[in-house]
Amino acid sequence: MFSEAAVREIQEIRAKYPTARAALLPAIYVAQREFGWLTPEAYEAVSDLLGVPKAIARGVGTFYAMYKQKPMGRHVVQLCTNVSCMILGAERLVDFLKSRFGLEPGGTTPDGRFSLVIMECIGACGTAPAMLVNDDFYENLTEKSIEDILGKYD
Amino acid sequence: MITVTINGKEIRLEKPVTVLEAARSAGIKIPTLCYHEQLEKYGGCRLCLVEVEKMPRLQTACTLMAADGMVVRTETEAIADVRRGVLEFLLINHPLDCPYCDKAGECELQDLVEKYGPTTGRFKEKKRKVPESLEDPVLVRNMERCVVCTRCVRMCEGVQGAAAIGVINRGGHSHIEPFSGGRFDCEYCGNCVSACPVGAIMSRLHRHSYRPWQLVSETVTICPYCGVGCTLVAQVRDDVIKRVVPRIGTPVNNGLLCSRGRFGYEFVGSKERLITPLIKKNGVLEQSTWEEAIGFVARRLGEIKSKFGSDAIAGIASPRCTNEDNYVFQKFMRVVLGTNNIDSTARTGYAGAQAFLENIFGQGATANLIPGLVNADAVLIAGGDPTAVNPILGLQIRSCARKGGNILTIGHVKGVRHYSPTELKPGIHAETALLEGIVTALRERKGLPGSIQALESKIKEIHRPADDTARTCGVTEKALASFVEALSTASTPAVVIGKEVIQSAGGSYNLLLLSAISYLVNARIHLLSERANEQGVVDMGCAPDLLPGSRPLSYVEFRRRYEAAWKVPLPEKPGMTIFDMIDAAKAGSLRALYVMGENPVFNLPNAKGVEAALRGLELLVVQDIFMTETARMADVVFPALSWAEREGTFTNMERRLQILRKAVNREGMEDWRIVAEISGNMGVKMHFSSAEDIFAEITRVSPLHRDLSYEEIAKSGIYPYKGEPLRGVTGDIKIEKTTAGDGGGLFLGVERPLFHSGTLSRRAPGLVKIYETAVARISPATAAARSLKEGDVVRVSSAVGSLELPVAIDLSVRDAVVMITNNFEGRGALSLMELVLEPILRAPIADKTAVTIEKVGR
Ligand code: SF4
Ligand code: SF4
Ligand code: SF4
Ligand code: FES
Repeated sequence: MFSEAAVREIQEIRAKYPTARAALLPAIYVAQREFGWLTPEAYEAVSDLLGVPKAIARGVGTFYAMYKQKPMGRHVVQLCTNVSCMILGAERLVDFLKSRFGLEPGGTTPDGRFSLVIMECIGACGTAPAMLVNDDFYENLTEKSIEDILGKYD
Repeated sequence: MITVTINGKEIRLEKPVTVLEAARSAGIKIPTLCYHEQLEKYGGCRLCLVEVEKMPRLQTACTLMAADGMVVRTETEAIADVRRGVLEFLLINHPLDCPYCDKAGECELQDLVEKYGPTTGRFKEKKRKVPESLEDPVLVRNMERCVVCTRCVRMCEGVQGAAAIGVINRGGHSHIEPFSGGRFDCEYCGNCVSACPVGAIMSRLHRHSYRPWQLVSETVTICPYCGVGCTLVAQVRDDVIKRVVPRIGTPVNNGLLCSRGRFGYEFVGSKERLITPLIKKNGVLEQSTWEEAIGFVARRLGEIKSKFGSDAIAGIASPRCTNEDNYVFQKFMRVVLGTNNIDSTARTGYAGAQAFLENIFGQGATANLIPGLVNADAVLIAGGDPTAVNPILGLQIRSCARKGGNILTIGHVKGVRHYSPTELKPGIHAETALLEGIVTALRERKGLPGSIQALESKIKEIHRPADDTARTCGVTEKALASFVEALSTASTPAVVIGKEVIQSAGGSYNLLLLSAISYLVNARIHLLSERANEQGVVDMGCAPDLLPGSRPLSYVEFRRRYEAAWKVPLPEKPGMTIFDMIDAAKAGSLRALYVMGENPVFNLPNAKGVEAALRGLELLVVQDIFMTETARMADVVFPALSWAEREGTFTNMERRLQILRKAVNREGMEDWRIVAEISGNMGVKMHFSSAEDIFAEITRVSPLHRDLSYEEIAKSGIYPYKGEPLRGVTGDIKIEKTTAGDGGGLFLGVERPLFHSGTLSRRAPGLVKIYETAVARISPATAAARSLKEGDVVRVSSAVGSLELPVAIDLSVRDAVVMITNNFEGRGALSLMELVLEPILRAPIADKTAVTIEKVGR
């Protein structure tokens, strides 16, 4: 179930769009925040609130990579391994995350602290390699700086 | 006038259409995959690409509107190249398992590749893997074959209105899934199966047991289930119906079916079908011969008639049998046995309600076109869920809503909940007060039209102000006002009446109120009908007070007419209704009962009481296709041919006559033939050699069917009386009001599920697998008040019986009601219902059966 605040938020979102369907994307974000990831209940809650059939809501949700279709760790690391980052050593960073934190691409650490998502370019080619931790942006990464950065998240 | 040139051919168009439609109208074929004539345009597959002069790129013919002067080419080398490319892409992920796929032979992808396709592919990667899903009872999903044309999704959402499925994931991984990802848990209409161009969603029934080209015989016939009367095509291999499909362009259902029509046909080939006549010897039904059984029944009926008189015998006809069966049966009762004791289960609501409405508005008041509902601007639904009782009619209501029509419901109607209905949900037994409030408000707003005096004088007596209505019914004044507003501003409203308002205490008064609403806003009335030939059985005179053509027996002129035609004097005294028959059997004054295609021990209230009453008979004859509860008690049982094995006509709820045709062969006799044989054996020969012969006699004697023929009906189905009211209004309107609602306690409700229909659907394994077992459906509040959980076993008891059933908690059930279906053997809702008749409609009162529930286990 949504919190009252989330219900209000979705209603406000709905009011900004001409059709209920158009409001799906931002509403699914709210659901993801409320439920942690897009559980069936999350989709149902969105569907009920917006009056969009739940099969359609799920169809939209599964189209986009930014939505979480499975449970995620407390912090989501999104590391880019596209050309610039790769050239500047992103793949070494992937190996490092594996050996240092037990974090596999697409996986979650056993303690539920981190999840790792490999990204295709986050628009930071000039300062590669780069990553996002939740909504925070980090660039010019090295093994050392990654270790320090992740230490701040528990 | 628009003129386009396609492949050098000039085409003149009356109205704007797409290039594809223009080409088709001129017989030019353009390949398509995502296009489907019943669906919204999509333009996704790119197979219909064509060259248009002065347009830089190839265009999709299915979305491009034809414009004056356009010059189009549909088959050039460049186009062929592109089509080949598109198909090569589609085949990247296609498993190419045609040798194993049931669709092969009628697969649009296969045909296209055969015509345009690449013979080899260049793609070397692995194909996607999606396991075949056999989670559903009637559907198989094989998403490796899906070409993501979204026809199924558009069908399910835009036409069926269930929106159960959607496209999941993206790009090469996208395919179709229901919300759960597993079972569809949908309405199982199978219309997505019709829509799918490939073998991605298919019927599970008779899977892998035929190839499309082996379905050599096809029979266009009428659905055996409900009163909508959908046309369906039964496709047969080796005398077995392998599948049932709809056809675009047929009246009423136009290319669509519901779960019952599409997946309910398997009863025909059931191993449980009765094969030989049976006669009870020493208390046991034993196999017998036709000769012996017919001779026995003829002799016993003769004896009983001479010993106790004609009125000691009665007959129950069937809303599942054809008009011809029912005509012959009532003729036999009247002419040979000399009694008007003939009736059917149409008496449990439909017949009485129709008579009541026709008495006010004239004959044909309820004979309104089902597809016309689409064009209504407001639809009032009272007394049931049309999307479950008469699903295809329900779809028209959904279409109406989609086009902007207002859906107004009395009570919660689950099947339209996604269509923003304006709901008024009165408390238990408060419907009447609510309807009074609506009538009062409408009269104040609209005034009286001044055309039907008898009705107006009743309307003038109705007075319930809005505040009082709101208080009594537990609705808000605001909701009531917007409901009335929507109704009173509608210019083409319709009123849909279901059995729940009819089978209620004060049913006649409820109908008067609904009549008043219809009258005040000038609405068309649709009366929901649960059986395929419920209208026909009444029209054939299978009623104690009506002759064929629905003509009152009491009118001397009509009686004379039939006497002249049948060359015998007819009994003047109206006969017994089906309920009178049970009472008379109990009292001992009824000695013999002849039941054709009906199961009164299950389909009438108070099963135990009916059973006890029938036990006292000297002779019980049952004609059926299965060993029913009633057949088990019979002295003689005749096996009848089923719906698929014979010809005849059905009359649907619009009063449209339609022809049933034989799909498969089976040895045996039609119901009418058995009756005619018995008649012959009693010395009265009926000279009928076919159903058509009988129909010819019907058209000679029944004014409702005058001058019709099978040939004429076959054209598109026909209205017997060509829409002209034949019988006027008789004046006085009799009603019976009820006392106010009862507080507290639980009441029985009869659930009418989408997936079942009486006891027939029990023998259709596909339907049984969807809805497997009887349950006691209660609301979350009822469950919470009694600490009951889903799956707990409860004993539901009434004054006349009790049932042990698992609990199902259902949001759509009202708080004071326990809903039970009347479909499953030994667990029918009617077995709990006391038989109390509404005095005017003479239909049983269903909503006053008090029940208790107690937990007995898990
Ligand atoms: S069977 Fe009918 S309701 Fe179910 S998914 Fe297919 S179209 Fe939709
Ligand atoms: S399942 Fe069939 S109809 Fe639906 S998208 Fe796939 S190919 Fe098209
Ligand atoms: S709506 Fe009625 S007549 Fe049509 S397919 Fe369904 S059960 Fe048969
Ligand atoms: S049929 Fe035109 S794009 Fe598919």
